[in-house]
Amino acid sequence: MASISLQHIVKVYSGGVTAVNDFNLEIKSEEFIVLVGPSGCGKSTVLRMIAGLEEITGGELYIGERLVNEVSPKDRDIAMVFQTYALYPHMTVYKNMAFSLELKKMPKDEIDLRVREAARVLDIEHLLTRKPKALSGGQRQRVALGRAMVRNPAVFLLDEPLSNLDAKLRASMRTELIKLHGRLGTTFVYVTHDQTEAMTMGDRIVVMKDGLVQQVDTPQNLYDMPCNVFVAGFIGSPQMNILKGVLHRNTDDAAGADGKSYVEIGEDKLYLPPEKCSNALLAFAQRDVFVGIRSEDLHDDEAFLAENPNAVITAKVDVAELMGSEVYLYLQYRETSLTARVAPNTTSRIGDTVKIGIDVSKIHLFDALSERNILI
Amino acid sequence: MKVKRSASKTLTYTVLIIMVLVCVAPLLIILMNSFKGKLFISDDLFAFLTPQSFVGGANYVSGVTKMNFVGAFGTSLFVTVASVILIVFLCSMTAWYLVRVKNKFTSVLFYLFVFAMIVPFQMVMFTMSWVSNRLSLGNPVGILVLYLGFGAGLSVFIFTGFLKSIPIDIEEAAIIDGCTPMQVFFKVVFPIMRPTIITVAILDVMWIWNDYLLPLIVLDTGYTTLPIAIQKIFTGGYGAVDMGGLMAMLVLSIIPIIIFYLAAQKHIIEGVVAGAVKG
Repeated sequence: MASISLQHIVKVYSGGVTAVNDFNLEIKSEEFIVLVGPSGCGKSTVLRMIAGLEEITGGELYIGERLVNEVSPKDRDIAMVFQTYALYPHMTVYKNMAFSLELKKMPKDEIDLRVREAARVLDIEHLLTRKPKALSGGQRQRVALGRAMVRNPAVFLLDEPLSNLDAKLRASMRTELIKLHGRLGTTFVYVTHDQTEAMTMGDRIVVMKDGLVQQVDTPQNLYDMPCNVFVAGFIGSPQMNILKGVLHRNTDDAAGADGKSYVEIGEDKLYLPPEKCSNALLAFAQRDVFVGIRSEDLHDDEAFLAENPNAVITAKVDVAELMGSEVYLYLQYRETSLTARVAPNTTSRIGDTVKIGIDVSKIHLFDALSERNILI
Repeated sequence: MKVKRSASKTLTYTVLIIMVLVCVAPLLIILMNSFKGKLFISDDLFAFLTPQSFVGGANYVSGVTKMNFVGAFGTSLFVTVASVILIVFLCSMTAWYLVRVKNKFTSVLFYLFVFAMIVPFQMVMFTMSWVSNRLSLGNPVGILVLYLGFGAGLSVFIFTGFLKSIPIDIEEAAIIDGCTPMQVFFKVVFPIMRPTIITVAILDVMWIWNDYLLPLIVLDTGYTTLPIAIQKIFTGGYGAVDMGGLMAMLVLSIIPIIIFYLAAQKHIIEGVVAGAVKG
């Protein structure tokens, strides 16, 4: 168990490509932190720098109290699980798990004890004599975890460990990993491009783009208060709907007052509720903004439409997907596609032009220039 | 439909049998003649063995006693085994370096190895024998350096091809597990390369064991490998050849290579397909 401190970390590859730029993060001991972002955002590079597999161009990396910039991977007290599992194909599962301990010249009975204990926890005791090629993807994944576990590392690094598994196994392994983190009480740094994994597993999530940290926060805060358009679009499934409009914020309105402030989207007006009308919005009056609306904040039921007559738009249903407990309506509104998550008893059908109510108390506003959230 | 299929099967098998016969015939002819009397061999090399022409193991006995078979066999064995060990170890390490360290120097080095592979022996024969003389390489230990040089091109080429298919993650996992670079190579990379190593070893064993020209040019008088010994001993004056002894010694000289090939053939097939399919 150890904290990790990344201070002004920079990674520039030969050729001048900057993969990570001024990366700052304090990871608490025993925390499960998830680095998430699209391909090429630098999340794996950060993980590999923590592991010691990539040199750090600039900045300081501490594991616990120790500066580890120049410390070799084996001396960092870390273990890593790779996307490809990276099992040694010529060794049995037992040997794979025991390998690092043998290199440390640990007594054989101690190695045996640790390997069998890890195998018991991961339910792979019956596989110990097999070679990796005789294992399924899920089993290989468990062996890779076991190999990391036996070392009792201070930090667990996981580089997209579930991305090679099928959807069902991935979901079950997610739960297993959460349980494992609870049981081991070790610091976990987990890299994924899958926002669902990030949301379900992380104590905190680091959203990255183009080598820069966009936002670091708890899953709930990221979902409720994304700091910019990118985070808003990346976190949440289906993606947040983004509409372009113009903010009308009357200067004579008192903060939190009468609802004279609105966002104009074409001919439609979305009146902001008093709690959204902060004085900070004054700076953005008469300026272009992006309106972010989560799919569950779009409603097509009569009761909602009747209650919120000031926030209704008209859209055409392109596709309706029944997901079982809900229906995804893919709507065409002006030039923009919207997704609404509505109740399964919806009467909206493909090709219908329907009225959609927007829960304005939950909308997000982003400055069109900086793309930053202007409501937080 | 059935008739058509069985006809095509018959044709396939006929062609295959003919091809096998073409390949095996020279070996069978040597084996057959090694049991024939000298006159019968010179009379008709291709005639089948008959009770009249059969001389039992006489050719073998005369062959072994006439030439220093054990000495030549020992030299061949040492040169072959030592060269192959050198080639396998040094070339696999070189290939690993070339694959994992990417810069202009390694690119140039790789192309030099490829170039070395395609340069015919005869082209460098004269300069090489001159260099080997100057460096006193005309002995069973010195010749290992020359075999290493000539074997490196193909071996490095084959090894690099295979190493590219090994995910670097495995080596990184080994580094995190606590391996030094040498341990990464010998405990992880080298064992994974086993099928390719056996393929290279088979190719090199067959080449070096049977090689005639290089030891003939390079080795000082007093050192003879099997092919040279056989040629020297059984070629008499005015082109007279003791064909019986020659055939018998040829048979003896190919036995080790056949045993080695049969023992390792499973792996050469593994080596050929290794890396073809993502496992």
